[in-house]
Order: sequence, then C-alpha cells, then structure tokens
Amino acid sequence: MHALRFVAKRLLLMIPILIGISILTFAISNTIPGDPARLILGPKATPEGIEELREDMGLNDPLYVQYGRYMGGILQGDLGESTYSQRPVLNDLLRYTPATFELTMFAMIVTLLVGIPFGVISASRKDKLADQFTRVFALLGVAMPAFWLGLLFLLFFYLKLGILPGSGRLDGGMAPPDYITGMYTVDALLTGNWPVFYAAVMHLILPGITLAAVTIGMITRMTRSSMLSVLKSDYIRTAYAKGAPENRVLYGHALRNGVMPVITLLGMAFGHALGGSVLVESVFSWPGLGQYAVNAITYLDFPAVMGVTLLIAIIFIMVNLIVDTLYFFIDPRLKHD
Amino acid sequence: MALLEVTNLKQHFTIKKGFMGEKTIVKAVDGVSITIEEGQTLGIVGESGCGKSSLGRSILRLAEPTEGSIKFKGEEVTGMNAKQMKELRKEMQIVFQDPYASLNPRNTVRKILEAPLIIHNIGTRNERREKVELLVEKIGLRRDQLNNYPHEFSGGQRQRIGIARALMLEPRLIIADEPVSALDVSVQSQVLNLMLELQQEMNLSYMFISHDLSVVQHISDKVAVMYLGKVVEISDVEKVYADPKHPYTRALLSALPVPDPLQKKERIILQGDLPSPSNPPSGCPFHTRCPMATKECAEIVPPLEEKTPGHFAACIHT
Amino acid sequence: MLLDVKDLSLSLKKNGKYATILDRISFQVEKGETVGIVGESGCGKSMTALSLMRLLPEKARLDGDINLLDENIAAYSKRKLEKIRGNQVSMIFQDPLTSLNPLQTVGTQIEESLILHRNMTKEERRTRVLKLLKDVGLPRAEELVNEYPHQLSGGMRQRVMIAIAMACEPQLLICDEPTTALDVTIQAQILELMGEIKRQTQMGIIMITHDMGVVAEVCDRVIVMYAGKIVEEGPVLELFQNPTHPYTIGLLDSIPKLGQRKQKLGSIPGTVPAPGNMPAGCRFAERCRHTMDICRTTVPPMFDIKAGHQSACWLFDEKGGDQDGVVRSDELETALHH
Repeated sequence: MHALRFVAKRLLLMIPILIGISILTFAISNTIPGDPARLILGPKATPEGIEELREDMGLNDPLYVQYGRYMGGILQGDLGESTYSQRPVLNDLLRYTPATFELTMFAMIVTLLVGIPFGVISASRKDKLADQFTRVFALLGVAMPAFWLGLLFLLFFYLKLGILPGSGRLDGGMAPPDYITGMYTVDALLTGNWPVFYAAVMHLILPGITLAAVTIGMITRMTRSSMLSVLKSDYIRTAYAKGAPENRVLYGHALRNGVMPVITLLGMAFGHALGGSVLVESVFSWPGLGQYAVNAITYLDFPAVMGVTLLIAIIFIMVNLIVDTLYFFIDPRLKHD
Repeated sequence: MALLEVTNLKQHFTIKKGFMGEKTIVKAVDGVSITIEEGQTLGIVGESGCGKSSLGRSILRLAEPTEGSIKFKGEEVTGMNAKQMKELRKEMQIVFQDPYASLNPRNTVRKILEAPLIIHNIGTRNERREKVELLVEKIGLRRDQLNNYPHEFSGGQRQRIGIARALMLEPRLIIADEPVSALDVSVQSQVLNLMLELQQEMNLSYMFISHDLSVVQHISDKVAVMYLGKVVEISDVEKVYADPKHPYTRALLSALPVPDPLQKKERIILQGDLPSPSNPPSGCPFHTRCPMATKECAEIVPPLEEKTPGHFAACIHT
Repeated sequence: MLLDVKDLSLSLKKNGKYATILDRISFQVEKGETVGIVGESGCGKSMTALSLMRLLPEKARLDGDINLLDENIAAYSKRKLEKIRGNQVSMIFQDPLTSLNPLQTVGTQIEESLILHRNMTKEERRTRVLKLLKDVGLPRAEELVNEYPHQLSGGMRQRVMIAIAMACEPQLLICDEPTTALDVTIQAQILELMGEIKRQTQMGIIMITHDMGVVAEVCDRVIVMYAGKIVEEGPVLELFQNPTHPYTIGLLDSIPKLGQRKQKLGSIPGTVPAPGNMPAGCRFAERCRHTMDICRTTVPPMFDIKAGHQSACWLFDEKGGDQDGVVRSDELETALHH
C-alpha cells in the first residue's frame, strides 16, 4: 500500500518536472542563433521566401505563444513535424528509441555484471594486487572519453583483428527481425531467429562496452567504498563471531548491504549512459536517438530536439522511479517505517 | 525569587515519519514546571526519550517552546527578541555531552575561549587575554596549552575547556546536558569536582541533565525524575533517593547497579520497554510498565501532588 | 579449567608501525564462573575479548597461548577457528542495533549459528529458534522470527543477540559491554536474564565492562586492566573491600556513591600512555602517587596478596621494601584511602 502511494506521488511529481524541462529546452533552442527557415530553404533563398516560411512555421509569434501551441500539441500526442526528416517527430522517436534503449540496456547489464563483482573483489582484497588492478581499471573507465575509447576499440577489434563488427545494428544485407519491440536482440529471441540474434549481439558488443566504460568505473568505485564500510560494520563482526566462513560473510551478509547504495546510483548511471549514447552512436553509426539528436541539432530541427529531450527526460525519471521503488522493496527498514 | 522558574513548559515537535511523511506530534516536553534557586543544582534524570535534553534546549530557546512560561530572574524569556536573547545568553550557558563536537577543531583553545567575549564585545584585547588565562588555570590547564587545538587534548580536558567557554561570560546558570557521560569514571570525577568547586566559588546554578542516577545524586540539591515528557517526581535529592514516592523512581533506583558486592538488594525489574514518545500511553504514561498499575491509571493523568512536605510525585497510588 | 590464557600479547599496525596493545596477559576462567574485566577506555579490555575469539584485524600480531579446554586455539587455522566460534565460544557486543544485520530477519540470524554448527533439519532448527527466543524472554516468538532488527527495541535486540550467542550452547560466553548502550531499567532486565542463564548452564562468562556496578552485580572474579596489562586480579568481594593496586583504588574512589553527596571525589591525575609509547617500568607510574625508583625502571610482576588475589605493584614486593607485603597492604589501606 505504502509502495503504491509512493509511486503515485512520484508520478504526479513528474508533471512539474517535465513542464520545467520543456520550458528550459524550448527557451534554449529558441535563443541560440540560427534560423531554421533559412536553413530549410538553403543558400539561394530570398528574404521574402524566408519571411513567408517563418510566418508559416509560426516562428514570428511571441515565444510563449509558440510554447503554448507546442504544449497544446503534445497533449494531443502531436510533437510537431521534424523540419529535417519531414516526418512527425513522434514517428521518428518511435523508430529510433528502441535502438538506443537496446544499446543502453546492454551497457547497463554489462555495467552490473562487471562493476559489482569488480567492486566486491576490490573491497575484499583491499590493497592487494587485485584491488590495485581494479582501481586503475575503474579510474581509466571514468577518465577516458567515450568517443576516443570507441575509436580505439574500432581500430583494434574491427580494423586490426576483424573479430567484431564496427558499425550499424546488423550485418550488411541482413533483414531485421519481425517488429515486436524494435530491439533486435529481443525480437530475434522472441521469433527464434538465431542468426539475426547472433549478429545483433555481436554488433552490440563494441558500442555497448564503450558506453559502459564510464558507468562500470562509477559502479565499481561505489561498490568498493560501500563494501569497505560494510565490512567494517559490527554485524559483519557478529557473522564472523558466529563462525561463518569468509565467503559466507562476504556474500551472505556484506553483499546485500553493500549493494544497497549502489542501487541508488543505478538510475544516475542509466542517465549517464543515455547521454553518452549521443557520442557513441555517432562513432559506431548506431541508428538511434543519439544520432537523431545530433542531426536535429545540426539542422536546427527544433521540434525534433524538443522531442528527444522530453523523451530522454521521461525515460530518465521513469528509470529513477523504478530504482527507488526497487530500493523500497529491498530495504525492510523502509517498508515498515 | 528563584533564578529560573519554568511553568507548564511544553515542547511539541511535528515529525514526518516513514517514507510517505505522515505527520506525528511528539510531546518531548509535556507540561514541566521546575525552579532553580541561586547557587543550587537541579538534577534532571530519566531514560532515553524522556525529554530531559529537550527541556534544556527549550529553556535556552534553542528550540522554540510550544507553550508555557520561562522566567529568568523574574523576566519572561519566551517573548524576548533576538537582542534580549543575546543578553540573556550571557547569563545562561549550555555545556554539551560531546566536548569534541562542540569545539571548533580549527581554532586554538585561546580563540575558542575568547570568542564569547568578542561576540559580546567585552573588555579590551588585554583584558580578554587576561581573563582567558585566568580561567584556563582555574579549570586545571596550563597557560601554554592555550595555543593548542582541541584534538590535542584528552576527553576530560576537552570537557573542561567546554565548561571554561561557558564560564567566560560569567553566567548565573549553566545547563549541562550529559556533561560527563562520554568520560571514563576517573576523568568524570575530575569534571564533577571542578563543577562543584566552580559552583562554590562563583555561586553558580546548574541544571544537570543526566541518565546516571549516581552522578545526579552526587552533584544535585534537588532532582526531577522525568518519564515521557513529564516530571513524575521532584524534591530534594535526599528525599527522592531515600524515599522515592513514584514507582518509576523506585524501579530506576533499584535497577542501578551499585559498586558494592555485599549490597544485594531486592530488585524491581520493570516489564517491557519504554513506550515511544510519539505514541505515549493514555492516562499515567508509566502505567504500561508499572507494577502498581490499576484500571484507573490508564484513564487518569495523575497530577504532581505534594506527598510529604516539599516532595512531589505524580502517582495516584502513593 | 575452561579457559587458560597464557602470556597473551597483541600488536596492531598503526601508521606503519606495530604498537603493543596487550602485553603478556594471563588469566583463567573456570566452568560456571563469571570473570569481569574492567578498566577505562584504551586499557585493552575489548581487544582482549576480540583476541580470544581471534576476531582481529588482518595485520594483528598475536603471541601466547589461548587454551580452551586444553586446546591452544591461538595456533588454530582459520577453518578450525570457524568451528569453535559461535559453537564453543560466543560473543555479545555493545551495540545490539549495529551488531545485527539490518537486512535479515531475526529468525534467519539466529538460525545461522545452527546451520553452521549443527546438523539439523529445517524443522528442528525452527523449533530450536523459537525455544531460544522464549528462553531469552521474548514474547510472540512466532511473529518475531519474521521481523527485522529495526522493528525491535534496544532491549529486545540485545535479547536477540543473546539468543544468537546461546544457540549452540557454548561453554564460554564473552560479553563486551553488553548493557552500556541500554537504559538503566533495560540494563536491569538484561543483567537479570544473564543471571538466569548463568544459573541454568555451566557456562563460563567473561564480562567486559567499565561499570564497577555491573561487576559487583554479576561477577565472581575481577581482572583490572590498565594500558594493556593486568594490574590486579581477585575475587569480587575481596577486590572491592581490599583493593591494593593504586589504580584500582583510584578507580573505585572516583565513583560517586549514594549518600556521599557533593563530597570531593577521588581522581587520577594525568592520562593513559598511548600504545607504542609505553614507559619502561610500571605503566601507571606516571600517574601514581606512590611511585618509587624501581617503578620507573622495571615492570612489576604479579605479587600475591592472598589466595587468588594478586596485584602488579612494587609496593607488595616482599624483598624490595623493608616491610613485608601483608603489613604493607594494611598500611596502604589507611594511606591510600585518606
């Protein structure tokens, strides 16, 4: 019951947050220099033609009128039309989101599978070789720019060794699986299309790991410090005093307590990965939201920019809500209070 | 006229509880009346959650009282503005439990002790210096230690510095909130000795808040026993300790381990736990654990009655 | 003999250097006996307890013998130790809230000892857990097993800790300040429960505390520690009535006693020397008002005062002074107390 009310409250809170974000993005995208009308008509445009198009697009109205019109459209499920692709923004988003979501989720799974065990090993072998190694590794992950790491990966695994594909979501000429979720791996799995599944996973590896490098670093360091403080706590001493062997203490008592604060970081990490996808998608020609956003910005495609920003905000808020709710169920102290 | 006269003081807190922030009212102090005479010590004793610390804070208006009157030297404190409060705080000072947390670690002891004088604009540079040096010797530290930082002192020394700081402005009343609880016994005795000496010398009044019955007994003239925000018994120390009139006081005293193996006493073991201050029992707050409780106790809130001359207790059965 | 500790020394690494925390501690605990270890902060009493369980930091250096039922567990391997901890020797800690795992139910935490040391079925374990909860005086055991530590009060949590410690019916129970974090009325409940357990089992108990009142209440024998060494040891009655070591006397004098209001309390000037910076002779010499030349140069051994009562003070050296020990101790009585 508590949990339900909590979720409801958080969902209601989303409304002012989204309004705030929309005002902010709207204001920013309309104050940067550059005229979309001029860009659409190209270098040979006449001033009259530009003025006509501006009038047509409503660009001459006061900002608040434009904003009101935009928000009115959103309420009816209309995000406007992309000036670049000439398609409704909603359609574009539906088309590109699954690719980004798939990439980000893959990165998050890698992050969890690598980051948490690394953090645990690092903490349990404090100051030993394994710990030193992990700490350097985590630091590198956090410090290295994603695009540069991506290029290194491309150079080595794609160009030099040729063992992993370097661009796109599937091998050239391969037909995508039947559309269910839009995520190729999931769709291929659901339809039992094994060759496509294999190809989709292979294509995910390089961009996924590139994207995960930073978040692995974050999660490893957080897990390590959290585990270290847990291992110093009194109930760990109690567990040893009961005669529990080291592994039992580590995995039976320390791990769950140590991972708790890491969970709160997961939402942040997801947001980070989502943001990072803009660069990584460009490096690996991944046809997702990131690339779409880059194009939208380049062509001053305001409806598209707004659409992407709002969507990412919604995803980010939802993920954090899920994470917080998860916390609520894992920590009994919150449940009973 | 009493130095401090507190009448029907209430300190209620609204706390948000749990994940959803349901509001509950905690009656930390619930209608307490006490007086402290010039040069005397009132001990406030009770277990965790009884409101003894809140009472101290409330009197100094570190937390704004909800209701009631606080008269210091006959003047009402509750309505005072900031300027009047600043003047008042010269005369009423507080000493905290954890001397380390209440001393700024970046300042030398000299600076820490001088600060109150500077804030209140007292004396010239040289006069202040002299005063600091005089007082630091009075509390048993050497002058050359004035340039040291708090971390260079032991717990007992730090607490003495805390007391010295409180004394800088020559207050009349010191509210000491568990001042010796964090200290080892041999150090605790030094601080207690110091407090008693200073009291005699400067005719100080203390409100001595502690959970330790033997320490309170040692230093106080009068003692008030608190339970869940209320004073359940108040009188001279001798009377309360020799002939407790409230069953809670009796239980407390009998529960106190005495450092004498020959003294095997009949012990009253209270059943159950302290109720939560946010959800106190009806009627007499103690009735849920009281060995003497009857049906009426759950209904009647017992008033503080004079059981024998000068000895008050809030129990309908004694 | 249940426990025979011989010349136990402990050094811990601090700032790259080993500092001696315990210095050749020897004592015994008999079956059914409660031995108190008292002293002020930094005297090494808690470290003694952790050394017995060998729950020490990794870089600790431990020397000497810890003979538990004639087996020297100081030489045991990790695996062999695990078989003893929680089984033959159990421990109760000061703060019951932080000592319990916040994410596990009470039942799970009590059951763990049984899983580790007893070959029981799930059903048998459950029955045993319920019985343990009832034995430590906790009501509604059936519901309690599914509750979490934060749902319980401080006193209930300490009862749960005791239930965990008692799960495998240990021969030795080490209590490290078990009532210090509790309110007086709750402390009384816990001490009562421990008395009950003591009467019903033949367990040896080591009670570590700073509270002379608790010692007087529950202990048969007392060990007084100062700066990592045992300075005095004796039966509880003897020690309280006839304390001999200047430190013990100072300690007892500094406690406020009922009926002696506003009198000047005894106190001990100075502070405890820091580990790694111990004086050559008696560690109390700096703060003692009877310091002689020999105190500053030579560590005093334990001198016999009476049967079972020993004191590490040169005042009792029969060969050293011109008086014999017995006379000396009577003189001390009058000299030290007034």
